[in-house]
Amino acid sequence: MRNPLSPASLLEGASESSYVRSLVVGTVGVLAVLGVLGLAFPESLAGDLAGIVFSTSTATSTARLAAPIVLAGLGGIFAEKSGVINIGLEGLLIISAFASVYAASIVGVGNAVLGVPALALAFLAGIAASTFLAAVFAVVCIEFKADQIIAGLAVWLIALGLAPFMSTVFFGGVNTPNLGARVGWQYSATMVVLATLGSWWLLNRTAFGKHLRAAGENPKALDTVGVSVSKVRYAGVLLSGVLSGVGGSALALSIGQFVGAGETMVQGKGFIAIVAYLFGNYNPVGTLGAGALFAGLDAVQIRLQQLGYAVPDTLVQTIPYVVVIVVLALVGRTQIPEAAGEHYETEE
Amino acid sequence: MSDSDPDADGGPSVFARVVAPFVDRSVAERLVISVAAIFLSILVGFALVLVSGRIAECSTAAWTMPFTGLGFCYNPFEVYVVLFNGALGYPFAVGDPGLFNPGWTPFNLSFGLTLSETTLLIFTGLSVAVAFRAGLFNIGTQGQLVVGALATALTVLALAPLLPAGPVAGLVLIVVGTAAGAVGGGLWGAIPGALKAYADANEVITTIMLNFVAANVAYVLVLEVFRAEGSSVVATRYVPEYAQFPSVLFPASTDFALIALLVGVAFIGGLYYFVEHTSFGYDLRTSGVQAAAAEYGGVNAKLTTVRAMTLSGALGGVGGSVWVLMSEGRWMASVPDLGFDGITVSILAGNNPIGVLPAAFLFGVLKGGALEIGFRTDVPTELVAVLRGLIILFVAMPEFFRMVGRYTGVAGGPGGAGGASGASGSGSADPDESAGGDGGEADA
Repeated sequence: MRNPLSPASLLEGASESSYVRSLVVGTVGVLAVLGVLGLAFPESLAGDLAGIVFSTSTATSTARLAAPIVLAGLGGIFAEKSGVINIGLEGLLIISAFASVYAASIVGVGNAVLGVPALALAFLAGIAASTFLAAVFAVVCIEFKADQIIAGLAVWLIALGLAPFMSTVFFGGVNTPNLGARVGWQYSATMVVLATLGSWWLLNRTAFGKHLRAAGENPKALDTVGVSVSKVRYAGVLLSGVLSGVGGSALALSIGQFVGAGETMVQGKGFIAIVAYLFGNYNPVGTLGAGALFAGLDAVQIRLQQLGYAVPDTLVQTIPYVVVIVVLALVGRTQIPEAAGEHYETEE
Repeated sequence: MSDSDPDADGGPSVFARVVAPFVDRSVAERLVISVAAIFLSILVGFALVLVSGRIAECSTAAWTMPFTGLGFCYNPFEVYVVLFNGALGYPFAVGDPGLFNPGWTPFNLSFGLTLSETTLLIFTGLSVAVAFRAGLFNIGTQGQLVVGALATALTVLALAPLLPAGPVAGLVLIVVGTAAGAVGGGLWGAIPGALKAYADANEVITTIMLNFVAANVAYVLVLEVFRAEGSSVVATRYVPEYAQFPSVLFPASTDFALIALLVGVAFIGGLYYFVEHTSFGYDLRTSGVQAAAAEYGGVNAKLTTVRAMTLSGALGGVGGSVWVLMSEGRWMASVPDLGFDGITVSILAGNNPIGVLPAAFLFGVLKGGALEIGFRTDVPTELVAVLRGLIILFVAMPEFFRMVGRYTGVAGGPGGAGGASGASGSGSADPDESAGGDGGEADA
């Protein structure tokens, strides 16, 4: 059993950061090549692509689309580092997206309750809903020793049914009406950056972060020093609920509507979030980079369509999913915490 | 449980270790847990209908709670009566004198729709189950079904003009079309299998991603190339009538063919024999339970993984073929969630091919009943999707039912959780529980 604080692990940390560095260098390199090509041949596809990639509208929609991916991904780090694989992030995003829109419609956009504006309340409602569902997941996994993968899948499927169900109950259809309120991209971007930095600090600079990692890597050791493994794991899963709640609310409120048809408006962003943190190797900053990359791809395809390239939009929308598969195939086995997915029995 | 053993080091992936106890549990205990999980989900669903019926707005209350006088927009009793009675075509005369409806025959429209769903779910359930037995979590049955369905539709449409119309050509087209579906789905399933075996990519994520890819690519292919002329929806042309499974005995509008159900049952038997009594089935099961031990015993784990996923994908593809050749008569873009429901069916069945039959029927009832809920009540039909998730959640937490069993005493057993609302169902399951329940799980 590996001690997470041993020199060997620290060495691994260094190789992790070099991996993240190569990721950053690669991305910057691709962008640079594109920029040069765009400047050299302004009339070509490369020119248009460069124009799109470096335009502000692409940057803003990237910030908007990255919020659910990065925030849910950060949440996933906390859960998985503590030893609970949370595959239900998608469900947390769905439920918070609906709850935030519902709360905003109840209060009425522009109104305020006790001085708190409706949109802030909407965020709180989304966070509450997501955290509640995460708490159910935590109890099921930790207290009742459920299979984490299946329970996570259940969380997704429950939300996939429940959000359109509630939407039909309250609004008469699986899609809510558009409330006309929009949360600006600046707010999404700020939340994403703050959450990333906060998560990094929490994971790497606090006692809680140490406990979290120990709960996932070597729960027995944590138990021996007198820290409750269950409590730490509960905290990890609940944090994933809080962060996903912010992400789901940001997604819905950036449009002002919840779309519940088909796979709902979340459309697999929770699963892309899982890949984002695997890609970022459980590093919050790496997760931010990967999330921004996936969101950026999505933003570029939206702009490409607006420019009238005769690429079927559905086909372009497929690109992020394919990229995820390719990335996962190339990255392969990640440094999954030693005891992730296992139950821990306290020794009396 | 073996997975709580902190010394079970190295060797098998975390995933196999997670899955192992699930596959290993005694059949009797699984049965009790499945029944208890269904009752518990119905109970939670009941509360959900009650609460949302209180919150929703309507002009007249559908149900008034006794003693309190509170009005509710939805009647939670009626929902379940309509769900189960309606799915069977109203064999029970509710509210009228006499228990049974004298005019009822099994060959009615609603029951046909229920059996149609059952037939499709048998294939997707088997698809998920066979992967599960190999320790693989195939969430991609949905995508494999989409690809298989498209392969079937295109193959049959391409071959139909070459053959003289008639029953013989119909038989040939159905057989070749189903084979095409199996190949399409199998190849689509082989992708995550190979990625898992040779690149160590987690199949849960890759299969979910491939679902999105399959849906999008198939949509674009049909939209741009194979779309039927003048069709308002994205769909291929209809395959010829004679190349579709015939609806014998049941009304044609049920989209149900008894022969397809029989083929499904034959698949169950075949797969059971294959998994339990062939050498490849043995490889499959051992690598599902203990990958390292299987490898040590001479099983090529990588190849087994690819084969298992291919077989699983092929079964999902056949499900797609039956969907085209029995239900729709063409490929169309709004493919129902049969693959995801297959996960529930398989988990409910304890990943046992034999168990897939009752689980698929139960889920067929839920799906068929959902249509009736839509016709007869104001309750959103998405209720059934919520029940699907709840059933999975409860089946995933056997420890909960063991705790309940422990607190309520041996007689109540795990079935006791749902006992209050469904004495008949858990009553029949209780003897099984005392035989294989708590005793075998003392290590938990």
